[in-house]
Amino acid sequence: MYERPVSGLEAKTKSRSRVIVLSVNGETHEVMVRPRHRLIDVIRDQLNLTGTKDGCQSGTCGACTVLLNGRPVLACLTLAVDCDGKEVRTIEGLAENGQLNKVQEAFLDQGAIQCGFCTPGMVMSATALLDDNPKPSRHQIDKALEGNLCRCTGYNAIVDAVLQASGQGGVKPVMK
Amino acid sequence: MILFEFDHERPNTPDEAVALLTHAGPDARLLAGGTDLIPNMRYRTVTPALLVSLGAIQPEAPREEKDGSLRLDALAKLVTIENSALVRKRAPMLAESAHTVAGNQIRQMGTLGGNLCQDTRCLYFNQQHDFQFVAPCYKRGGDCCYPFPRNDKSTCWSVFMSDIAPALIALKAEIEIQGEQGLRRQPLEALYAGDGLKPHKLGQAELLRAVIVPPASPRQGWGYHKESVRGGLEFGMAILAATVTLAADSKACEGARLALGAVREAPVRLTETEKAMAGQALDAERIAEIAEAASQEVNPLPHHGFTKAHLRDVIRIQMRRLLARAVERAVNPNA
Ligand SMILES: Cc1cc2nc3c(=O)[nH]c(=O)nc-3n(C[C@H](O)[C@H](O)[C@H](O)COP(=O)(O)OP(=O)(O)OC[C@H]3O[C@@H](n4cnc5c(N)ncnc54)[C@H](O)[C@@H]3O)c2cc1C
Ligand code: SF4
Ligand code: FES
Ligand code: FES
Repeated sequence: MYERPVSGLEAKTKSRSRVIVLSVNGETHEVMVRPRHRLIDVIRDQLNLTGTKDGCQSGTCGACTVLLNGRPVLACLTLAVDCDGKEVRTIEGLAENGQLNKVQEAFLDQGAIQCGFCTPGMVMSATALLDDNPKPSRHQIDKALEGNLCRCTGYNAIVDAVLQASGQGGVKPVMK
Repeated sequence: MILFEFDHERPNTPDEAVALLTHAGPDARLLAGGTDLIPNMRYRTVTPALLVSLGAIQPEAPREEKDGSLRLDALAKLVTIENSALVRKRAPMLAESAHTVAGNQIRQMGTLGGNLCQDTRCLYFNQQHDFQFVAPCYKRGGDCCYPFPRNDKSTCWSVFMSDIAPALIALKAEIEIQGEQGLRRQPLEALYAGDGLKPHKLGQAELLRAVIVPPASPRQGWGYHKESVRGGLEFGMAILAATVTLAADSKACEGARLALGAVREAPVRLTETEKAMAGQALDAERIAEIAEAASQEVNPLPHHGFTKAHLRDVIRIQMRRLLARAVERAVNPNA
């Protein structure tokens, strides 16, 4: 019978923790994690990158979406110990030299943000989509974003923003 | 953070994974994509002491075997199945069923094996229980059942909601299981126990290695439908899959396989209806009768707010549509 690891001081002395190496937004980090820590716990609580949101914690909302080795995954369902040696990109890592990426710009132009809680996850999903498919149709955008829940916008402005970012019509005039 | 301590191993080969499971005993669990297991661990409905992660084992790409069958690694991600040109050509129904699962992120993470081995679901089970002041149900080790209050038989009527299993059963797929004794091969149906408390007949130290889809017969058509309310990021209300093979005259039915998901503790095969279809000319009228018979052959469990009568209606109507589609495809494979 397998002996369950114990929590608290006793566990620390038994040291079930391990060190993993993560590249986050191009910077290498060594972090100490226990098996029970998820990727989102490391990103938010250890690296203080709070752009990635912890919403439902059960896979249903997409607010925690990050790119793991370039693929959009849910940081709330990924164990940190399984990410050793991998490359993570979060919403903080999309801007280059202080310049927002084209998806972020388009979200601003189209008013695709209301409360903003879903936005980091939406932008990560949309960025991954455009990496794979630079000219998606409206239907392909719907399908790619189906794992990202938004309680505010009604989604149309978000889909418009992804269309704009893919260079297929900037629908609304830009507000200055 | 998951709210209890557990340990984690990351074997490099399936053999090592089996050895770890054997050594660790019943408190160990396999972890593939984690999209089914981690939410259940968050809710503390499953509390393993050790996770044996399959993350370090590289899945093989889908490939065609010498006898023309299609071999899929159980560790393959659902996106691989959905996008593989070989799968789309050789088993389009399988690609379509993988495409309907959850949302993109979950298909990027989730695996074929995890999909087929996922736990059954119930509105009263798959949720956070900490803030509820109610007694645990049978599936959580308690002594009651909420959706079936007169159930005093310790039976759990949770439903098995894989979108892919019915498609694979209609395609007559087999699975390869690896255990201490080596590999064994069996039809996919035989994996399911039909018991909500323990839905799978896998040994404690066994793992699913591969799924094998036999070559389609000539003049075989398929139809697949997942009924849901929203149509996105949602478990199925009822999942229907069928293959129909026509005789040389392209009219009479030579054979059929019909499978349903999400309406019982295991995927259901409609063997009586299949038998009744043999030799029949599948015109619109006949298809309507068959669909009616199909909806009567199964006794759907009411689940997630859907009544038995509603589920029967869904099965009847969608079965009629998808059988018509299957016949169309059997006559003209490019349809
Ligand atoms: C929001 C949400 C929506 C979902 N929607 C759907 C849906 O619409 N349709 C659907 O079918 N599913 C759905 N799922 C369920 C599930 O995520 C997927 O079915 C997924 O394919 C499971 O695969 P996994 O690799 O993540 O499994 P895991 O969570 O890693 O494993 C699931 C179970 O299978 C066992 N297991 C895993 N691999 C093997 C193996 N090779 N051999 C033996 N046992 C194994 C594990 O021990 C565990 O008990 C959804 C999940 C979430 C969170
Ligand atoms: S059907 Fe099963 S999971 Fe649902 S309440 Fe009853 S015993 Fe629990
Ligand atoms: S927090 Fe990860 S999907 Fe909701
Ligand atoms: S903007 Fe509020 S949830 Fe999307």
